[in-house]
Amino acid sequence: MRRVKGTPTHQGISLIKCLTECNDGQELTVVNVNSGRGAKMRLANLGIIPGSKIIKKQSAPFRGPVELNVKGTSIVIGRGLAAKINVRCNNDCQT
Amino acid sequence: MSFEISKEKNEIKENEKSAINIALAGNPNVGKSVIFNQLTGLSQTIGNWPGKTVEKKTGSLDFLGYKFRIVDLPGIYSLSTYTLEEIVSRQYIISDEVDLIINVIDATNLERNLFFTFQLLDLKVPMILAINQMDILRKRHINLNFEKLEEIFKLPVLPVVAVHGKGVHELLEEAIEMVVYKFPHSHYNGTEPENCSHHGHDYYREVHLSDQNNTPNECSREKFEFPDLNELFEYGKEIEYKIKRLQSEIEKHNKQISKFKYPSRFLAIKLLEEDSEIIEIFGKNPDLGYILKNAEKYRNELENMHGEDIHTIISSEIYNKINKIIDEVQEIQPEKERKHDRLTDKLEHITTHSFFGYIILILVILGVYYFTFNFGDFFGGLIDGGFSKLSEYVYNTFGEENIFISVLWDGGVGGFFGAISGVLVYVVPFFLIIEILQDSGYLPRVAFLMDRAMHAIGVHGKSIITMILGFGCNVAGCAGCRIMETEREKRISIALTSLIPCAAVLTVVMGLVGRYLGIGWVLLLFIINFAVILLVGRILNKSMPGSCTELIMEMHEYRRPNFSVILKQTWVRSKEFIFKALPLLVILGISLEIILIFRLLDPINIILSPITVVWLGLPAVTGVFLIYGILRKELTLALLLILADSIGITLLGLLSPIQIFVFSLVTMLYVPCFATIVVIAKQTDWKYALQITLLEITIALLIGGSIYWIYTIFMAI
Repeated sequence: MRRVKGTPTHQGISLIKCLTECNDGQELTVVNVNSGRGAKMRLANLGIIPGSKIIKKQSAPFRGPVELNVKGTSIVIGRGLAAKINVRCNNDCQT
Repeated sequence: MSFEISKEKNEIKENEKSAINIALAGNPNVGKSVIFNQLTGLSQTIGNWPGKTVEKKTGSLDFLGYKFRIVDLPGIYSLSTYTLEEIVSRQYIISDEVDLIINVIDATNLERNLFFTFQLLDLKVPMILAINQMDILRKRHINLNFEKLEEIFKLPVLPVVAVHGKGVHELLEEAIEMVVYKFPHSHYNGTEPENCSHHGHDYYREVHLSDQNNTPNECSREKFEFPDLNELFEYGKEIEYKIKRLQSEIEKHNKQISKFKYPSRFLAIKLLEEDSEIIEIFGKNPDLGYILKNAEKYRNELENMHGEDIHTIISSEIYNKINKIIDEVQEIQPEKERKHDRLTDKLEHITTHSFFGYIILILVILGVYYFTFNFGDFFGGLIDGGFSKLSEYVYNTFGEENIFISVLWDGGVGGFFGAISGVLVYVVPFFLIIEILQDSGYLPRVAFLMDRAMHAIGVHGKSIITMILGFGCNVAGCAGCRIMETEREKRISIALTSLIPCAAVLTVVMGLVGRYLGIGWVLLLFIINFAVILLVGRILNKSMPGSCTELIMEMHEYRRPNFSVILKQTWVRSKEFIFKALPLLVILGISLEIILIFRLLDPINIILSPITVVWLGLPAVTGVFLIYGILRKELTLALLLILADSIGITLLGLLSPIQIFVFSLVTMLYVPCFATIVVIAKQTDWKYALQITLLEITIALLIGGSIYWIYTIFMAI
């Protein structure tokens, strides 16, 4: 489990974690994407860039892929790649 | 626009014989194919882009006296080089073959769709923006300001409701304006574009009407001038500066560059983005090497400054622009919350559920089997029955010993009817089901559920879609493998799909093992089959260079299937099969009949006997059956039954239980059917098709023989 400390906010400490660690239904802001160039480009084309707001809708059973809501549409991302996307919770979420 | 002007346009057309060539471009699932179907109806053909395995859909129509040729480009998200489809699309768009692009945009997802629009605008090809699904947008109480949109893009922007055919033909009227009259007509504020404002549109027409001796081009422009969109494109200061620098460097070498037809700004951006195709163009020319170096320098500077990779920087710039545009043009009536469709929400929930999702998946697969099988069986039986009646008549008329009749009737006509009753009747219902599953949006859910499991065999979730197709018919499944993004994944998927037991294999397994040994043995066969798929997946995953890519896929909402589109698509795909695969099967039927008449297969039995008799422990005659099985797998069963019938014994008298099991197993695995091999070769190349065939023969013989020998040794002890 990799956990990077984020910037403190007035609400308390907002944590930066990878997408796979977040709970379903959370509203998140993308902090960065640590994947290879190709996947990064693909994600950027789909609107997953630092600063964009996404909602984690659900993940498939047995450690399967993650379904996100990005700009109003559902995007499914393989778990390996989702683990490389770091996000910050928008509302103060429990870790 | 009315039909009154069509006469006069007709005359212009006389002078310009050539058709208006339109390319439909847009994201996946925006209604592009619905518009394509509305426009072209049944006049479509599906082929491949030259030298590529990407599907090319072409259609034509006559409208207002003009001939239109329309190409439905694959649905893509950007014009980079991430997938083959993107490369094919952008090369096609800048080619001389395209007069105009219609960019289909989903009104309910403007942000992502406009991202692609920005990429298209970079190519500076005349374009119409068709904003589709306006009905849904209105239901959500969102207004779009079309006047503003046209002001921003300086190109025609038209509302469309493709499913109801609304606004679809207006797109063509606009296309005539742009391609023939060379300027876009503004719909919303009634003014003409500046350069031509002193002549109204109607003025042009009157001139044509009153003075027909004039050349029609006198009043229209020679060339469509792509609007100046610099203001719209202007990115952040540092990036813009670097793009401009590169652009001016590129423009110095216009002579060498112009033949590639890409506009200089597009080239500059793609150089910054390290686009492989563009870099190759520049890399080939030593004079341009310094531009490459500069681009690399600029890229590094930008990446260092922003602390981000270049794609992220440029995508962010574009998304910022788009957000501003959307703020300007979109008006949401706030008091009314967007209503969710309860049924689709429930469907969505249950089909991706961690338990019920898999139950539904199994039911769907069984349903596909059941429907395909029953439909095919019923109509296949009818056709076979009809054919044997006809055969009787033919033999009574011409005599049974007539060699020409044997060859032409049994081989040619028989091959034709056999292909219809044995393959086509299974393929057609199957295409229908698949179109329904695809159009409603179920298949991506399967990919979502199965992604994790598919990683075990070296591919991501999408290839489960092609494997499901394979259950009905391997031909359709392997053809469906074009949806895979990379060549590596496509090849692995094709190999695995060709191993899926199709409806025809199911006939053999049920007719032999199910009938004589019991359903438990059928299950065992299926388990062995899936173990082989797992094994082959692992072998290919290890042996092919590169690694398994991660799934990135859009999962659009469920929607009611559009039956007119589904029926048309089913017909178009079936037509493909009828015209491409059937002739081959007829030729093969004739040649096999010749081989049979001259008893050329007897030596084959002898040649094959070390394998069939010694290694697999089967009767020598099965050698021929297995050869026939390449043509159609269920033939192995049919021939066995005929043979047993002619000797006057039951099948159990011919084959022992272990022989039945081994024979069915070998039939299941040993080779894809001939039509599948052809499709594999078309999707990849003949070398790969042969490799797969050889691999599968080897595996079938290894497993079949091992089971026989283990059984024999076991019984001896």
